[in-house]
Amino acid sequence: MLHDLLFRLQTLFRRHAAERELDDELRFHLERQIAKYLKSGMSEREATRRARLEFGGIGQVKQECRDARGISFIETLVQDVRYAGRTLLRSPAFTACAVLTLGLGIGANTAIFSVVNSVLLNPLPYPDPQALLAARENDSRPNLKDIQRQTSSFASSGGVNVAPMDFTGNGEPMRVHAAFVDAGLLQTLGVQPMLGRWISDHEDVKGGPRNVVVSYPFWRDFLGSDLHVLGKAIRLSGNSYTVIGVMPSDFSLPKELADVFVSMWVAYPGEAPDRDVHSMHTYWRLKPGVTLTQAQAEIAQVDRRLSEQFPDTEKERGTILIPLHDWLVGNIRPALLILFGAVGLVLLIACANFAMLLMARAVARQRELMIRASLGARNSRLIRQRLTESTLLALVGGAVGLLVAKLGTMFLLALKPAALHRFHAIPIDARVFAFVFAISLLTGLLFGLLPAWSASRSDIAEALRANQRATGIEVSRSLLRSTLITAEVAVALILLAGAGLLIKGFLRLRSVNPGFNPANVITMYLQLPATGYSQFQLQTNFRRELLARINALPGVEAAMITDIPLSGNYVGHRVVIDGRPTPAVGTEPEVQVLSVMGDYFRVMQIPIRAGRDFLPTDREGQPLVAVVNEAFVRQHLPGQNPIGSRLDWIRTPEPHQWMTIVGVVADVKYSGLNQPVDPVVYSPFSQNDEAWRRWMTLVIKTRSPMAGLVEDVKKQVWNMDSQIPLSAIQSMDDLMAVSVAQERFNMLLLGIFSGLAVVLAGVGIYGMMAYRVNQRTHEIGVYLALGAQHRDVLRLVMKDGAKLALLGIALGLAGAIAFTRVMVSLLFEVEPTDPPTLIGVALLLAAVALLACYIPARRALSIHPMTALRCE
Amino acid sequence: MPSLSIDLPQGTLDLLILRTLSLEPLHGWAVSERIQQISSDVLRVQQGSLYPALHRLERRGWIKARWGTSENNRKAKFYELTKAGRRQLEIERDAWEKLTAAVSQILETA
Repeated sequence: MLHDLLFRLQTLFRRHAAERELDDELRFHLERQIAKYLKSGMSEREATRRARLEFGGIGQVKQECRDARGISFIETLVQDVRYAGRTLLRSPAFTACAVLTLGLGIGANTAIFSVVNSVLLNPLPYPDPQALLAARENDSRPNLKDIQRQTSSFASSGGVNVAPMDFTGNGEPMRVHAAFVDAGLLQTLGVQPMLGRWISDHEDVKGGPRNVVVSYPFWRDFLGSDLHVLGKAIRLSGNSYTVIGVMPSDFSLPKELADVFVSMWVAYPGEAPDRDVHSMHTYWRLKPGVTLTQAQAEIAQVDRRLSEQFPDTEKERGTILIPLHDWLVGNIRPALLILFGAVGLVLLIACANFAMLLMARAVARQRELMIRASLGARNSRLIRQRLTESTLLALVGGAVGLLVAKLGTMFLLALKPAALHRFHAIPIDARVFAFVFAISLLTGLLFGLLPAWSASRSDIAEALRANQRATGIEVSRSLLRSTLITAEVAVALILLAGAGLLIKGFLRLRSVNPGFNPANVITMYLQLPATGYSQFQLQTNFRRELLARINALPGVEAAMITDIPLSGNYVGHRVVIDGRPTPAVGTEPEVQVLSVMGDYFRVMQIPIRAGRDFLPTDREGQPLVAVVNEAFVRQHLPGQNPIGSRLDWIRTPEPHQWMTIVGVVADVKYSGLNQPVDPVVYSPFSQNDEAWRRWMTLVIKTRSPMAGLVEDVKKQVWNMDSQIPLSAIQSMDDLMAVSVAQERFNMLLLGIFSGLAVVLAGVGIYGMMAYRVNQRTHEIGVYLALGAQHRDVLRLVMKDGAKLALLGIALGLAGAIAFTRVMVSLLFEVEPTDPPTLIGVALLLAAVALLACYIPARRALSIHPMTALRCE
Repeated sequence: MPSLSIDLPQGTLDLLILRTLSLEPLHGWAVSERIQQISSDVLRVQQGSLYPALHRLERRGWIKARWGTSENNRKAKFYELTKAGRRQLEIERDAWEKLTAAVSQILETA
C-alpha cells in the first residue's frame, strides 16, 4: 500500500520524465520487432507495417500504461479542473451568482466561527488551563487565607481586586488600573514575570515593602521599555513603589485589566484584614489528580467552619468553584452558540440555492451532456466532472467567504459587544482556515452531488429520444427543487422569527425608562489620593470647592455622586429602620448607598416623588438626612409615610446616628436597563463620613454639547491639585448605548442573518418560478391562444410557487415554535412564542415569496401565443 | 504461424511475465520473445497488453525497472523480479497448478 502510494507520487512528480521513458521503451520495442522482421527477409516497409499492426494503437497502449501506473486519477482531476474552469468562465453570470451565494453563506459562517473560535474554543493562555478554577462569588483576603491554610486540594490559589490608582510624575496625572493581589495569584496562573520577579509570600504581609510589578504595556509606554528598570521607584497614589518585575507581553489576568500589580496588604493595610469586604476574584489551581467535586467538598467544610466562627458577617457566604473557562465565557456562550446555529441555517439556504443553480445549469447543458454520453463518456465520469465543477465553485466561494469573514469580524468588533471586550482583533487562524476549507469542500461535494445524481440517473438514450419536458429526469428534479424551496422558506421563517423576537426584545429594552435624562450629560470619574486627603473634612472641602468652580463655568450645571447609573460600580450597606424590630444579625436588608453633592436630581432630571431635594444646608454639623428611591419605600416602608422615618447603617457599636428621610425620588435603573431596581439610600457627601470612599463622579449638564468643556474641567481640577487624574470621561448617552451593546449585537447579527436568509430564499423562489415559466412557455401560449384571461394565467403560474411557499411557512412556524425556546435567555420581556411576532414574520415572508413568484409570472403574461407555439 | 498460436487466457500474462523474469532481467521485447520461444510459438503475447502489464507489476512492487544496455548496444528498460515478486510467483504458480489439475480432472472424468 505504501509502495503503491510512493510510486504514484513519484510518477506524478516526474510526470514528464516518466512520459519520455514510456516513449523510449515502446520505441525500442518497435525497433526490435522491425529489426526481427527485416532479418526474416521482409522489406522495410512491410516490416514496419507488420510491427505497427501487431502492436496496436500506440496511443491507447500508452494510456493503458499510464492507467497501470496509477497517474490517471490526478491527471483526470487536473483535466477536469481545467475543463470546469473554462466552462465556468464562459458563463460568468452563473459563476458570479454561485460564488456570491456561497461566499456570503460561508463568509457569515466563518466570521461567527472565528468569534466562537477566539472566545469559546481557544484555551486560556495559561499552562495546564483545565486545572484552573474560579469562585463564583468574590471573597475577602482573610477568608481566602483561611481556605488556603485549611485545604489540601489546591496546588495554589490567589485573589485579585482591580481598582484605580493614580500614577504621577509623567506629565498629566493618570489613573491606572491597579491589581491588588495576594502573592499566590501568579503561581496559580502558572506565569512568570518577563523581567525580575513576582511579589513573594514574605513581602505580602502587613508592613511589607512597597513593591510593584508592572504590565508589559505599562513598562513600554510609561517606563520607556527600560531594561534596567528593576529597583527604580514610581509614584502611585502618593506613595513611592519599587519596580521588582515586568510581566510578559502576552500576559493578562483572566478577567481584569491591570497596569500594575501590588500586594493588597501593602497598598491597603487598613482594609486588607476586613473579613466582610468581599472584593477579590479568587482563582484556584487543582492539584493533579484532584477532581472539582473533591475540591468543592473540601472547601465546603471550611466554609461551614467560617460561618460558625464569624456568624455576624460570613453566615451567607459560600464558595462555589467552577472551571475558569466556564466562568469567563459562561454568560456569552448561549448567545454565540445561537448565532452560530443561525448562521449555519443561512448557509443551508445558500447551499440549497447553489444546488438549484447547478440544476438549472444542468438543464441548460443537457444537450452537451447527452452528446458526450452518446460519444461514450461513462456516467461516473460525467458525474465526476460536474462534482469537480461544483467543488471548484465552492472553493472559490470559500475564498470569497474568507474575505467576507475578514470584513465581518471587523464589523463585529466595531459593535463592541460585551462578549468581545477582551479582543482587539479576531484572528483568522489555522483552525478557521480548516473550517472554511472543510465547509467549502463539503458544500461543493454534497450539494453538487444532489443535482448531478438526479440528472445522471436516468437513461440518457431515452432522454435523447423523448420529449425533453416529460422525462423522468424532470419529475425527480422538480420534486427535489420543490423540497429545497419548501425547506428554504421554512428555515428562513425560523431565522426571521428569531430575529423578530430579538428586535422586539431590544425595542422593549430601549424603551425602558432609565429613570433619568441622559441628554447632554457628561460624566467624569476622579479619585482623591490617600495622601493629603485621608481626613474626611479635607475631601469635603475639595469637593465643595471643585463643584463651585465648575458651576461657575458659563452654561453648565454640575453635581457629583459616588457612582453614576450603568457604571458598574455598586456599594451596598445593610440598614436598620428606626422603630422596627431589629432583624437577626446578618439578615438586615441591604441597600445601595450613594453620596451626592449639588443638585444631582435636577441635573439628571430624576423626579422627586415626595418630600424635598437635598439643600445646601444639609451639610456637616447639621441634622443627618437621606433621600430614598421608590423601591426602598415599596420594600421597607410599605403603606407608611416615608418622610420623617429614620434609618441608619448597621453599626457596632451603637448608638445609632439616625438619618431622617426628607424625600423620595423616582427609581433609576442603576445596574442595567434589564435589571431590577434595588432600594437606594442617597445621602449628602458631606454627612456620610466614610473616608475610604475617596472617589466621585462629576455629572455635568450643558444646555448644548460643548467642545471645550472637558478641558475646562480638567483645568479646574488641576488648578486645585495637579496630582489628581480624571478618567472615564463619557456622555450618559454613550453609557446607555454601551449598556445595551450585547443585546444590540445579538439583534443586529440575527437581523442581518435573517435578512440574508429571506433574500436568498426569495432569490431561490424567483429562480424556480422563472425556470418553470420558461419551461411552460408552450403551454401558456396555448392557453392564451385559446382565450385565457391574464388572471387565469397568473393563477396558473403562481399556484405552484405559492403552494410551496405556504407549506414552507407552515413548517417554519412549527419549527420556530420548537426552536425559539433556546433563545429565552436572550429575550427581554418577550415570550419565545410571541404570537404577534410570529404572525408578523410569517406575513412578511409570505409577501416576499409572493413577490418572488409574481415577477416571473408577469413575464408569462407577456408571452405572445404565436411565438410560444412556434418554439415547438 | 499465427494459425498455430492461441491467445493467452485471462490473468495468465502476469504469471508468465513473473516466471520469465525469474530467470534473468529482460526488457519488454525480450519478454514477449521468450514467452513465444519457450512455448514453441504456441503462446503469443498481445504486445499491446504486455506493457500495461509490466507497468502494473512494477507499481505493485513485484518487478523493478532500470535502464541498461541491450544486446545490440541500445538503451533499453530492463525488468527484474523483486523479493515480493518471487513470493507472488510462487503463489500464482500454486494457484495455476491447482486450477489446471482441477480442470483436467473434470475433463477426464466427466
